[in-house]
Formats: sequence, structure tokens, C-alpha cells
Amino acid sequence: MLSLQPLNPKPSSLYSSTFTPPNSLSPKTLKPIPAFRPSRNFYPSIHSMLQYNRKPQLAGDTPRVVVITSGKGGVGKTTTTANIGLSLARLGFSVVAIDCDVGLRNLDLLLGLENRVNYTVVEVLNGDCRLDQALVRDKRWSNFELLCISKPRSKLPIGFGGKALVWLVDALKARDEGGPDFIIIDCPAGIDAGFITAITPANEAVLVTTPDITSLRDADRVTGLLECDGIRDIKMIVNRVRTDMIKGEDMMSVLDVQEMLGLPLLGVIPEDSEVIRSTNRGYPLVLNKPPALAGLAFEQAAWRLVEQDSMETVMMEEEPKKRGFFSFFGR
Amino acid sequence: MGASMWSLQLHTVSVPVPLEAFWRYNSTRKRTFKKLNIVANGDAKNSKNLPHQIMVVKSNKPNLPVLLQDAVTKLQESVKSIPPPSLLVKKHSGVSLPIALSTMVTLLVIILRNYVAKRSKPNRPGSVADLVRRGQLRSDRRGISNPLKYNDPFNNPLVKVSKSNSTVEMCGQVYRLAPVTLTKEQQAVHQKRRSRAYQWKRPTLFLREGDSVPPDVDPDTIRWIPANHPFATTASEIDEDLAQTNVYQKHGVPFRIQAEHEALQRKLEALQSEQKLGKLVIDPGAAKDFERPFKTRLKTEEQLDQGPYNRQMGSNSSESEGARDSFVNQHSSEEMDKP
Repeated sequence: MLSLQPLNPKPSSLYSSTFTPPNSLSPKTLKPIPAFRPSRNFYPSIHSMLQYNRKPQLAGDTPRVVVITSGKGGVGKTTTTANIGLSLARLGFSVVAIDCDVGLRNLDLLLGLENRVNYTVVEVLNGDCRLDQALVRDKRWSNFELLCISKPRSKLPIGFGGKALVWLVDALKARDEGGPDFIIIDCPAGIDAGFITAITPANEAVLVTTPDITSLRDADRVTGLLECDGIRDIKMIVNRVRTDMIKGEDMMSVLDVQEMLGLPLLGVIPEDSEVIRSTNRGYPLVLNKPPALAGLAFEQAAWRLVEQDSMETVMMEEEPKKRGFFSFFGR
Repeated sequence: MGASMWSLQLHTVSVPVPLEAFWRYNSTRKRTFKKLNIVANGDAKNSKNLPHQIMVVKSNKPNLPVLLQDAVTKLQESVKSIPPPSLLVKKHSGVSLPIALSTMVTLLVIILRNYVAKRSKPNRPGSVADLVRRGQLRSDRRGISNPLKYNDPFNNPLVKVSKSNSTVEMCGQVYRLAPVTLTKEQQAVHQKRRSRAYQWKRPTLFLREGDSVPPDVDPDTIRWIPANHPFATTASEIDEDLAQTNVYQKHGVPFRIQAEHEALQRKLEALQSEQKLGKLVIDPGAAKDFERPFKTRLKTEEQLDQGPYNRQMGSNSSESEGARDSFVNQHSSEEMDKP
């Protein structure tokens, strides 16, 4: 497992070195806000560490309530929730994912659990079932549970959802088998009542955005609302990044996105056709074999989320692989 | 004829096929002669000495033996003209060995191919592939039945950082690394900018368009919901305290189920006290008030079960016991359905 993070003088680090980036970096990227563009000498050196056979260390108080939001629809909130949730479960943490999209829930489909959702939070509130009956345990990773807010056509009183979510988090904390390590809330698109409901119990947020101006404007606004609401720990995931387009200067680079939003990076997810395939199958990307590029990126993002860490280096364009003498014979 | 027979018998060793034909021919001839003999002598006893008598028989057709002899000599000549197969084999032995070998190899290949095809046939009856072919299973959902996972998330061989630390190789592709340039000061600048740009208070009061604003409420915290909102409803029929206790409930029967059960129990008891049960089983209308739609099937079954029982026994107390039991079973079955 790779984690890129600042050089830490810990003796446990297996491998570290320094690197000064080449000068070709700055002309490769677009500059929407030139005021923030630092001079070439300003670049810190690259530090990265390879960490093998080590579990990520859980930082912060549990349960960590993380809301995954974006503002704009279709940028990959639900995909991120499913993949980060299952990655956390694979790393050994107990996770409850809450699908807060009242009208248009999809997380159950992405996880392949749509046939197992019998009860939702609405039934729990009505007293038709208990909370433990409404939690759908994933058979692949038993420390992952799904909770849906409501069935597609049922109505939940507006203004009541936020309170209900706070109670839910409290009830999950007080469970007999111990509270979960992570409660991940999949937020609906927009800044409507559903958004307000979803962010109510959260104490940190992951903002998902794509490198295009429509998504960035919405992301900036949502970040503003989250900060107004008192959520200060906001990190962003830049989704659907195409290094070939960045190379051709047709797409903003991740560093440009970061300059526009001013948020620490949790992960960079490359565009991958496997995402659609895994969505159709109801089988999250991180469980794919062989692992897809996007799945690896989600896994690293989950690792950073656990350690409350952010990216210190980002992947830029592809380089042609150096081929050895014997590569002629096919490899 | 005897000599011809001898010579033919000698030939049996080397030329089996024409000889056999000849034997067949000869035996038919014998039968003909026998017939002729019988016809000529009118004595069945003489039939034992048939081969000797053949030559002296005087038949009604005088040119028959001549014809036969001609045929025999012809056949003999033709047989003599065919070289023995042993000679044939000797003559062509150099060519036929590879032919035989190739034939054997071809046969072997055909047999092996059939065997392999039979072994690798995917649709064994009852297999998953067979189920998919018959439409019992959806092939695109098959990934769930055999989970794909690579074993160790802590040791991923697909991510390698180069020795110079400037590139990373993921899934066989090499990416250049670049340092993140965002500083704490820049983050603070952005936060300040956003706090100026977006003034927002979390809405605490949700009102439908047209509702009057209650006094002592900050108008910034009011959220106006359009009247035709598809799923939102501002009218709350849920008792908040009750909902909270429902969420916090850890064990036992859920509140609503318990309440329904108790209400039905009370109804039954009231009916018992009025002695209405003697005439009628259970008033279906009265029970319907407490039933949810998906319980109707269970309820009717319950009624059907209780009907004859009630009429036969006429015991009110045991009837109510039975109803309670069935209700408890219903609850337990519901708990079994736990997701």
C-alpha cells in the first residue's frame, strides 16, 4: 500500500527520499487564478513513503461522522461513498454508510444490496422495526453496514430528518457491540433540505468535485455553506481526472483545482471505465481483481481519511514506461 | 471337378474372398444337383453319395455340366489372374506404412478431440452456467456469488514508487509526481473569501409557501418549501419524543407492532365480554382498523383457522389464546425477516 505524505522522521518509515520537480511542471497546467501561483523556487520537494504491512492508524474520536457531498449532481458522491466505505471496512474498521438521498437513493444499488433493504429509517422512527433491523450488513465485509433513510416514494417531514440523523448517530454510538469507527453519509445533490439533513450530524466533510468549472462553482458554494455550519475539516476528492487531457491542456490539473478551492486533497481519482462496469454489477471497484486504477486511488484516499492526512504529492501526466533490453521478447 | 475343388481349396489360404464366393456358388450347385439326382432316380436314400453321383447324373438338361464347367474354369482363371494379397502387401509395403500411421494418428486426434470437448463442455446439468443458460440466474449478477478480492490491502504490489521518488507506477503505468503547493495561509485566505461570499444560517424552521412566519424567529433560519415539492412534507404526523425512543430502542418488539397487538387484544377482550363471539367469529371490520395492508393475507388465514375451531369448541378463552399465539408467531416471523 502506498501512502504519499510529508516526510516524517519516524524510524519505522521504510523508504523515503527527496525530489525536486522538473521545470516543465508550471507550463503544463492552466492558471485560472494567477495570484496564487507560487514561483518556481517555492515548490517544496517531494517526499513520499512506501508503507508495507502496516495498518493505518485511526486518528480522531470515534465514531467519525463524515459527510460526502458535492453540490453538483453526477460527480461521483455515491461511488465515492461506496468505495471509501468498503475500503475502510477492508482496512479493518467498522463502517455504517447512510444513504441520505430521500427521493433518489442509489447507494444500495452500487453496493449490490438493493434486494436486502426491507426497513429504512422512516420505519425505525414509526416504530415498525428497531434500528438494528434496518441496518443491512454486507455479506462480503461483515463490518460494513448500510442504512437507507427512506424508500423511494415515502415522505419524511422536512426539518425532522436532521434531528433524526443526530439520534441515529447517538443510537449507533450506544450499540451493545460498540459504536462504529466511521459513519459515512451520502449526501444528495443540491443545497436543499436533503443537504441540510445530511450535514447535520457530520463533523467532517469530503467534497467530491470534477475538474470542470460547473462542478467547481458548486463545490465552492457548498464549502462555504459547510464552513458557515461549523464544519471546518473539509477535504476534497478530485474525481474523473484524465491525465492525457491535462497533458494536452484541455483539462484543469488537480493543482489548478486546488488553487481555485483552497482545500486539502484527500485523493485524486482517475477516469476509469471500470467504474461504470462495477456500478452495473453492484460490486464496488475496490474489490475488483485485478485492481483497477480508480480502485487503488479510492483505497489510498480511504487510507488518508483514516489518518486524517492529505496528499502532499499528486500524480501528473503519464510517462512512457522505460523498457529493458529483454522487453523485446514480450512482457 | 474333384481336381478343381482341390485347386480351389489350395487357393483358400491365399485368396479368401473369391474362394468364399466360389463356395457359395458351389453349394448352390450341389443343391441343384441333389435336386436333379432326386428327380432322376426318384430315391431319397441315394442322396448320401451325392458328390460321386454328380458326375454320372443324366439330367433333363444335357448341356448344364458343360456350362457349369465353363463357369468354374472362368472363375478359376479370374482367381489365378488376381495376385495374392501377401504379394500385394510386399509390393506396396513402403507406401502403406506412413498411410497407416497417419490414419492411426488422425483417429487418435479425433478421439482425443471428442474427449476434450466432452470434458470442457460448460453446461453440465445443474451447474451455474446451466442455470444462466436456462434463465434461472442472471449472468451479470454472478460476480456476487464468487467474491473477487485481492488478499492483502496492506501489501499492494501494483503500486511502486521509483527510486528517485519522482514517479509512481500504478497498474503498469508510470505517472510523474508533483508536489502540492497549497499552504495554510492560502487555505485561510480562501476561507475568508467564502465567509464573505456566502452568508448562511442553517434553517431550523421549514414552512410551506403561504404559511405565516411565527414571532421570535430569525427569518434567515426559515426554509420555504414549495407546495408541490415531490417528497418533502412539512406537516409532521410523527410524535418526536416517540420517534426518539423508537430510534434508541435496542431490544424487544418495536413500538408500533406492540401497540397494534395490544389494541387488537383489547378489542377481542371487549368482544368477549359482550359475548359476541358465540355468534360471530371476529368482526373483520374491527380488526381491519389495526391491520396494515401487507398483513391482510395473514389475517384472513388467521380467521379461517379460527373459524371452525371457535364453532367446535365454543371456548372464548382458548380462542383468544390462539389469536395471541398466532400474533406472536407473526411477530417472530417478522423479526426473522430482519435484513
